[in-house]
Amino acid sequence: MYEFDVLVVGGGLAGLRAALEAQKTCDVALMSKVHPLRSHSGAAQGGINAALGETDSWEAHAFDTVKGSDYLADQDAVDTLCMEAPKRILEMDKIGTLFSRTPEGNIAQRPFGGAGYPRTCYAADRTGHNLLHSLYQQCVASNLRVFEEWFVLRLVISEGRIAGVVGYHIPTGEIETFSANAVVIATGGYGRIYSRSTNAHVNTGDGAALALRAGAPLMDMEFVQFHPTTLLGSNILISEAARGEGGQLVNAAGERFMARYAKEAMELAPRDIVARAIQTEINEGKAIDGDHVDLVLTHLGEERIKSRLPGIREISIDFAGVDPVKEPVPVQPGQHYSMGGLAVDKNCSTSISGLLSAGESACVSVHGANRLGGNSLLETLVFGKLAGANAATMVEAKRARPDALVNAQREEERRVESIKSGRGKESVPAIRAKLKETMTESFQIFREAGAMESGLTKLHSLRDRFKNAGFHDAGREFNQAVIGYLELENMLLTAEAVALGAIARGESRGSHFRTDFPKRNDERFLKHTLATLVGGTLELSYRPVKMGRFPVKERTY
Amino acid sequence: MKFKVWRSARNGKDGRYEAYEVDPRPGMSVLDALFSIRDEHDDSLSFRYSCRGAVCGSCAMTINREPRLACRTQVSQLAKAKSLNLRLFGPLEKQIGWDRTAEVLIEPLPNMPVLKDLVVDMTRFFEFYNKIRPWMDLPDVKGLSKMTPEEVSKIEKYTNCILCAACFGACPVNNRNPDYLGPAALAWSLRFVDDSRTTDKKERLSLVAGKNGAPECEFIYNCVKVCPKAVAPAGAIRTLKDHLKT
Repeated sequence: MYEFDVLVVGGGLAGLRAALEAQKTCDVALMSKVHPLRSHSGAAQGGINAALGETDSWEAHAFDTVKGSDYLADQDAVDTLCMEAPKRILEMDKIGTLFSRTPEGNIAQRPFGGAGYPRTCYAADRTGHNLLHSLYQQCVASNLRVFEEWFVLRLVISEGRIAGVVGYHIPTGEIETFSANAVVIATGGYGRIYSRSTNAHVNTGDGAALALRAGAPLMDMEFVQFHPTTLLGSNILISEAARGEGGQLVNAAGERFMARYAKEAMELAPRDIVARAIQTEINEGKAIDGDHVDLVLTHLGEERIKSRLPGIREISIDFAGVDPVKEPVPVQPGQHYSMGGLAVDKNCSTSISGLLSAGESACVSVHGANRLGGNSLLETLVFGKLAGANAATMVEAKRARPDALVNAQREEERRVESIKSGRGKESVPAIRAKLKETMTESFQIFREAGAMESGLTKLHSLRDRFKNAGFHDAGREFNQAVIGYLELENMLLTAEAVALGAIARGESRGSHFRTDFPKRNDERFLKHTLATLVGGTLELSYRPVKMGRFPVKERTY
Repeated sequence: MKFKVWRSARNGKDGRYEAYEVDPRPGMSVLDALFSIRDEHDDSLSFRYSCRGAVCGSCAMTINREPRLACRTQVSQLAKAKSLNLRLFGPLEKQIGWDRTAEVLIEPLPNMPVLKDLVVDMTRFFEFYNKIRPWMDLPDVKGLSKMTPEEVSKIEKYTNCILCAACFGACPVNNRNPDYLGPAALAWSLRFVDDSRTTDKKERLSLVAGKNGAPECEFIYNCVKVCPKAVAPAGAIRTLKDHLKT
């Protein structure tokens, strides 16, 4: 058994930031199912928001964030996000992050969707990569203890508080317990429950499922962000920065159709609005080849594309055989981000004492019903730090009796053994494919009661089929069939939370658009959805939104 | 399309090549093909992966005897792909009876111990990275730092490194000298040395000065040819050598 004061699960930006903060005063370890540098934070492209400009203010940033959230964000948390932003940028600058610069030598900022000011700092279009490497470098400098390629099987709760986790070491198949006074979940999103997603293969909602099984609620899971511009074919992200730099969207007729959907903001309307616009063009037969529109960058010129959007150019050439300098990039909407996650307060605490969460796996909520571009990288740093600091205050908490952990380990050893020796006839890849298809058909950009109900029925039948799922690999070392099985188990549970929340929310707000309820309904639904696992069944309840300086208004762009 | 894939336990124990038939789809990457082999033929095949968009650095492996990212390599392009003209050594020139025109050959990266199938032990690769002092602290700067766009672009190329180790696997010097820091670590070193904000340039240079550092490079350029992010490590090493002379 390993023992630490604080254990962080997940090695992306939020996890690294939390670990670095907690490490200032306590004994910390970080575990991740991949090497930290393989985390999906590194794929973030366009930038990170902070009100640095002389005529900008954190209040203006907060307003844009709350309006962008369709008024579902908790405004106390948004205040924290926007007030802390300049400090977190300063901190990253101090550890050497190579931000792009203005001719005067200052950190450059570009316009982003839904923002009233160009406040998105960036490192070309590889902002996540640069931030992730900078933070990882600090972990190297401070000798952070990292357990790489460990998959968490279970959170262990004893006497109402976290006791630690049971982990599975992918390289050896060894199962081990990690005792900790505080556990921070920073496992990112669950995008892979959809077939078209910008997310990494590893984004399977592990943290969400672990939390549910431990008894902690998830919040606002029905709010799934579909990014307007993902590359046709592979659905790799084509950053909003492409539109921030002046990129235009055109349909099959060559029309700049955003004029019909957001005549002021055009291509720089928030993501939910642009994604719906493109999907509408597709549905109405105005798309190119029936499935995509063109993102035109050619007018920006070779030099600007090469200096500001080099990553986008590389991706377009490598994965679609298209050079944006010479021709338009074919794009379509795809799942991109999970606004929902573990329900936490503004100090990142869940309902279980000692269990915290930060980053995309958490729902604070600063994004409400729709996240603005440039706010997710910011969230990882602001709330990663707060989660680490808060976790560090829990070192005095009473240690759980070791027998709870020992028992949990034995149970998990038996469970993994039975999964490996079981010869269930149902195929993991087949169930996974069906899950993705179901989510994509029934819980997409446009949603409707009938389709969602039949989607939920399919999810239930997949859950039943999964009980008889099996695979062949019985080996110990790098048995990725075991991991595939465990990830699918997590994906199925997470998907159901998305589905239930979406069915129950009979209104349209932010990313959640109901064709049968096309209007926002503040009277009934200005509230957060909570999903809790009770006796093996997901149950919904609601919690009020924390309002603040910005009253609810109609949302137009 | 036939894929010939290296299968083995730790350190190549019981190693063998297995052939699998893959139905190529438009836009299929080698990583997609490996997933389809795992899903349809053999779920015990092990390989690392994450982002599938050439940014995370997980899936570097040897494809048709050239170190590449599996996700960035299109199956349909393999037959047409021009040879990188690498200087060959040991594992890249081992005779195995491979029909280049009919089979895609998939092997683990050279110069690192195999843990299983296509998964290699990257411990030393990261140890070497750690040795160049890959971090920065600028506590003395008041407020935000200043840099001109030119100062940024001078080192930007090196920050694009994703530590996939394709260069390390392709380097004949790494093959000959297991203690050589290798192209990626040295490129990262220059990223810090040539940062206009760096205050400890001398100390940093001393970390790459020895016989296992920059002077060991023979400018074979395999690293430049295989780098999926156009980092061009050999160019960085040339600059480091110049810095060391002055």
